[in-house]
Amino acid sequence: MNQKPIENRPLKPFMNPYLAGVILGLALLASYLILGAGLGASGGIARISAWFSQRLAPDHTQSSEYFGAWGETPLWYYLVFMLFGIVVGGLLSAILARRVRFQVERGAKASRMLRLSLALLGGVLVGFAARLARGCTSGQALSGSALALSGSLVFLLCMFAGGYAVAWFVRRQWHD
Amino acid sequence: MISSFFGRDALSSGEAMLAALCVGLAFGWALERAGFGSSRRLAGIFYFRDMTVLKVMFTAVVVAMLGLEYLRRLGWVADEQLFFMPSIYGAQAVGGLILGIGFAIGGWCPGTAAVGVASGKWDALIFLGGAVVGSALFNEVFASVAGLYAWGDSGVQFAWQGLGISSSLFALLLTLLAVGCFWGAEYIEKRRSGTGQYLGSPFLQAFSVALVVVAAGLMILPGPTPDAAAAPSLPTGAVSESHLLQAIETAQDHIEPDELADRLLSGEPELLVVDVRPAEEFAAFHLRGAINIPLAELPVALAPYKNAGLIVLYSNGMTHPAQARDSLARLGFANVYLLTDGLDGFIERCLKPSSLRSEPLAAADIAKINAWRQHFLAPDVLPATPQSQPASPPPAPATLPVSAPVPPTLPGLVEPAWLAENLGDKTVRVLDVRVQPQYNTGHIAGSVCVSPEHFRGVVGGVSAMLLPPDMLARQMSLMGLQPTDTVVIVPDDKIHDATLVSMAFARLGHARCGILHGGFSRWAAEKHPVTTALPEIARSEYPVPPADTFTVNYRQVLDHVNQKDAVIIDVRPAEFYSGKKVEEARGGHIHGAVNRPFTEDVTKVGPIVVFKPVADLAKAYAEVIPSKDATVIVHCRTGHQASQACFVLRNLLGYRKVLWYDGGWSEWAARLELPIESPAGEK
Repeated sequence: MNQKPIENRPLKPFMNPYLAGVILGLALLASYLILGAGLGASGGIARISAWFSQRLAPDHTQSSEYFGAWGETPLWYYLVFMLFGIVVGGLLSAILARRVRFQVERGAKASRMLRLSLALLGGVLVGFAARLARGCTSGQALSGSALALSGSLVFLLCMFAGGYAVAWFVRRQWHD
Repeated sequence: MISSFFGRDALSSGEAMLAALCVGLAFGWALERAGFGSSRRLAGIFYFRDMTVLKVMFTAVVVAMLGLEYLRRLGWVADEQLFFMPSIYGAQAVGGLILGIGFAIGGWCPGTAAVGVASGKWDALIFLGGAVVGSALFNEVFASVAGLYAWGDSGVQFAWQGLGISSSLFALLLTLLAVGCFWGAEYIEKRRSGTGQYLGSPFLQAFSVALVVVAAGLMILPGPTPDAAAAPSLPTGAVSESHLLQAIETAQDHIEPDELADRLLSGEPELLVVDVRPAEEFAAFHLRGAINIPLAELPVALAPYKNAGLIVLYSNGMTHPAQARDSLARLGFANVYLLTDGLDGFIERCLKPSSLRSEPLAAADIAKINAWRQHFLAPDVLPATPQSQPASPPPAPATLPVSAPVPPTLPGLVEPAWLAENLGDKTVRVLDVRVQPQYNTGHIAGSVCVSPEHFRGVVGGVSAMLLPPDMLARQMSLMGLQPTDTVVIVPDDKIHDATLVSMAFARLGHARCGILHGGFSRWAAEKHPVTTALPEIARSEYPVPPADTFTVNYRQVLDHVNQKDAVIIDVRPAEFYSGKKVEEARGGHIHGAVNRPFTEDVTKVGPIVVFKPVADLAKAYAEVIPSKDATVIVHCRTGHQASQACFVLRNLLGYRKVLWYDGGWSEWAARLELPIESPAGEK
């Protein structure tokens, strides 16, 4: 077992990215045609957040302006179900491709702690930003851009600008 | 024709949840197949090591965009079925930046992290936990970021409109950009990581050509162009409006019912009136002389009349003819007009018996109406009696894509969604100023029915004057109002009814007073609940404030006329301003007054009457009024229509010295010593 860290084993080949892109595009198209709205992931996360908030402090949550608007059953929302679908769909695909591995993905020279701390920090920023922008990579960058919505394209450009601006500072988590 | 859950307003149904779950399955599957269950691979794009994210995302965007464009143009899916996210540039730019930073730091974004969790990645689980915390954090600090959250709200905006190109060209350019990026990404990968296996491969060549060909194919199907009105570009903020029908309004391509009636009556040869309703409705009733052509057959059927004579399209409302007009315009028709307010408007304006009309009519008008009725309600077009006129189905509500409600700035406009959320609040009071039968058949829960006329009466010998503060305070007491209440006034399609009532509150110094944006029609169109129950009202003691400072009498107006130190705006229809039509002691207008008809400030989105976009209003008034601190006097005949101009100037545009001459032309014309101009009366 004490060989190279599993992270560095060659990954099983993934699907041709363009083909995967076509499938993703068709999933997005189906979302628009069936639901009338695009794909979304952060919306489901925010609803789960509101549900936790509701458990911990029901009165405070109900009186808060943002979560309060979602009522007492924030989980009854299509994006929560979609998020659940993403996990299940991803799980099925990963099992069939034998890609399920319990691990902390990181560079060989990066500590587990560093990687998890950065993941947590990144998560907090993304959770906050997705509420501010009313969507994440899925809801804005992908779904909005497919409709040529100006604001979503602005979001997309700013997202990559932000990513490239800080990537250098956090490169160590991937160092081998 | 596809009907979506959103279009059916059923996105909260159990079926929608199941459908969303299935869409999620496909989404998650595609993400995992692409290799997005690996943060290393995702983060690769930020180091130009692995450009998969770019390839997958851009392909998906182009595929979905082309698919949607084709389906929309072939008429399989209508825009009403789709949710268009508004552009809120500031929030989206800042949100995008922070999200990108978080993406690079965390190595995940929300959707991919969900797939990461499914693939067993602990870092993905931690990331998602962080995202849950981040969402909660947003809720906690919402009050301080609310401004940012609404910063740059511009309504639904399409990039191709901003670029001034057609959506077909935009799709082609974006596809070319995508293909360029694919090749660039492969090249970068080859240089940096020795991969880039598709660079120059037959697969990528064929894929690139296929995408470009499909995109170029859009050019042959008519699609929206930047200047066409077809695009649902509806700014969403509380005080901005739609461009949807405004382009149509400003394009002067409407024909008024009375004009059409007269021209039909005179048997004008070059006039082709087309009824685009279903054949059964046409058979039940149509305008005499009209022909029935289904929407889909218009281009072919009308080809012989292209740019020859005058084509007038009508339906019950205006939505379908407007869309058809746009489509025909793109096919080169420049002679297509719309009947203002459609058949419903025609019946109301031309065919309603004079005995049923509330406004006083001159004998000539009565004769005209009778002539129209005789012509258009003749037995050969209307088998039944006029009383059993086919009840035209209500026009389909136009979808107003609105952003999340923000607390309204008062006095001002109130979003229906905000009101719906705050109805339970006892300090939020709703005044329904529609007529009683409408109120009785359904109103917003807790609203009281009050006619704007309750606030007017004879004051100092002049009729229809807003009542003095003590009488208004008494009225408010009877309605159980407190000075601290937030009052929301609900009009039907006559916004000036609401603005008149808002003048009563302004006189009382009651600032927390707003007008429901889009009125009851929009409330109903957005399917907010209504009730027929009467509210429980306990009488209050509304205090009497001192007299207001914005109402002026004729002496004050005369001073300003003599000193030429104020802009006087007469908001009556142009023919009254010019003196062509006279209903008062004299015809014409106050010496030095300019004309800006109050109807110019509003527009229609489907059946819903709303104020025009603030930017347009601001531009129009800036041409008349030199500065926000200039003294402006607005008036009409009795103060009613002028109350709307007051509201626009003070509460939507921020003019600081707006005076209201309540007595209006009614009084001015009757005081013969006051100076007037009468351009039409002079000849």
